[in-house]
Amino acid sequence: MHTHPTLIRAALGARTLTLNASRRAGRVLAGMLLALATLTAARPAGAQAKNTGAIAIVVHPEVQVSNLSFAELRRIFLGEQQYWSDRSKVTLLVRAPTAYERSMVLDRIYKMDEDRFRQYWIGKMFRAEVAAGPKIVYSSDMALNLISSIRGSITFVPVSAVTPDVKVLRIDGKLPGEAGYPLQ
Amino acid sequence: MKLLPTLTSLAIWALLPSASLVAQQPGASSAPAPAAPKEEDAFSPSAHVMVFGDATYLATDRAIPSGFLIGQTVGHLIASLTERLAYFGEVTASSSSSGYSVEVERSILRYDVVDALKISGGRYHTPVGFWNTNYHHGTWLQTTVARPEMVKYGSQFIPTHFVGAMAEGTLPAGDLGVGYIVGVGNGRGATISRAGDAGDANSNRAWTAAVSVRPATMFGLQAGAGYYSDRLSTPAPTAVTAKEDITSGYVAWQRERPEFIAEYALVRHTPELGGAATSNHGYYVQLGYRLPGDASAWKPYVRTEEVVTSPTDAIFAPLALGYRGTLGGLRYDFAPYAALKLEYRREQFQGKEWSNGVYLNASFTIPGLGSGEGNPMGHI
Repeated sequence: MHTHPTLIRAALGARTLTLNASRRAGRVLAGMLLALATLTAARPAGAQAKNTGAIAIVVHPEVQVSNLSFAELRRIFLGEQQYWSDRSKVTLLVRAPTAYERSMVLDRIYKMDEDRFRQYWIGKMFRAEVAAGPKIVYSSDMALNLISSIRGSITFVPVSAVTPDVKVLRIDGKLPGEAGYPLQ
Repeated sequence: MKLLPTLTSLAIWALLPSASLVAQQPGASSAPAPAAPKEEDAFSPSAHVMVFGDATYLATDRAIPSGFLIGQTVGHLIASLTERLAYFGEVTASSSSSGYSVEVERSILRYDVVDALKISGGRYHTPVGFWNTNYHHGTWLQTTVARPEMVKYGSQFIPTHFVGAMAEGTLPAGDLGVGYIVGVGNGRGATISRAGDAGDANSNRAWTAAVSVRPATMFGLQAGAGYYSDRLSTPAPTAVTAKEDITSGYVAWQRERPEFIAEYALVRHTPELGGAATSNHGYYVQLGYRLPGDASAWKPYVRTEEVVTSPTDAIFAPLALGYRGTLGGLRYDFAPYAALKLEYRREQFQGKEWSNGVYLNASFTIPGLGSGEGNPMGHI
């Protein structure tokens, strides 16, 4: 874990100034700034920004599909296709904001920013086109646990997180890592 | 004021399914182990309430009330009763000089057989054109302050509401994204701006059919056409009975850079007791563009529109529905669920003098009150 240099400098500078006035107050202030610097460095955003790997589209193992065209994938993620061919209900799981894989899906599949994405689903529900929006998951582990337990569910996770108890879909005939795969 | 009790009731209603579910959960009794639950048994009903509202400051040289105006306050309930059965309700409270009037705008119970067939019954917004079934009463959802004149609230030009039954779905037509909707219902009431909520005004049911396409290769494009047929019976003193045929079409590009919506409707009336059929036209073209980068909260827009009615139309001529208008405005989304819109309009009603108006509107949605999963508001 690395502390941001600017925050360290700010903390040290603050400490020097306060020593002239009150050593005790300075120690408290410096401690607060260092804690803030530590917390800032520990935020996941930096780590997520560096995660640029492919994402996999995964479904419940009983979903009778192993390949989707990108257009079909988009229709499912847009809530325009709500049932699989075996008539089971599609349950869409979407990562909460700030996850790298969510950003990629919004950019590549939805072609929307966060505000337009929220507006899209509000409009979709308001038009009575869907009875519920996507279910929100807060980690890849949570997504994979739900995928393996909810029949008809579909989501996206980093390829590195995929476990054997879910099914990875081909998109336009390609698996993650293969040339031409659209989500990498 | 009836508004708050109405919304409070909606919110309480939305929360009831989860509360009753908790009461029905099997307790830790020593009953025999139950058989494996069916898929339907594993379903958890959910309900959500959304609220839309807006207020406008209006300055105009028209002889209408100006100043601060409270717009419609809208409560929308969505309840999943089973995996395939859902209820959608929309209630509005509209301000007037004598208080608030409450109206059930939509009340729909729908069963999804598959994507290609969803059957429903209740009170709808008539699927004539684009605006009427895309923005409903959610002012925040639409780019502009107000709806186009041809589909305005309480419109007499087209029947904005429809009470009856519908079948709709998307057809397996490859990447074309073909959707359809057909319905039969009461059609217009004796007061033609109202649907036949308590029965049809005559013994002839209205029917409607519409198709739309959303091609995968042109993501963001939607186009459609529709037809509506009814028999109108107006009360005295006009006391006209006529066949009404409405043909409509639209094209919409909704990617916001740019946003483009164009819609046209032809309303034909054929008197049953003789007389020539008459044609009435309504259209609008709207263009908007959400600015890029750091200015993406801003969206300038323009719209031009017209409603032309025949002077010999036995039903429309006495109502003086003629309209021409042009507007330009700027929308500023200052928060994820709230927007400010500043709009200038130049309008002419039924061939009278042109008027000018400036509208400053604030609109918002409260997108997530309710129970169950799948709430896109608080979590997405």
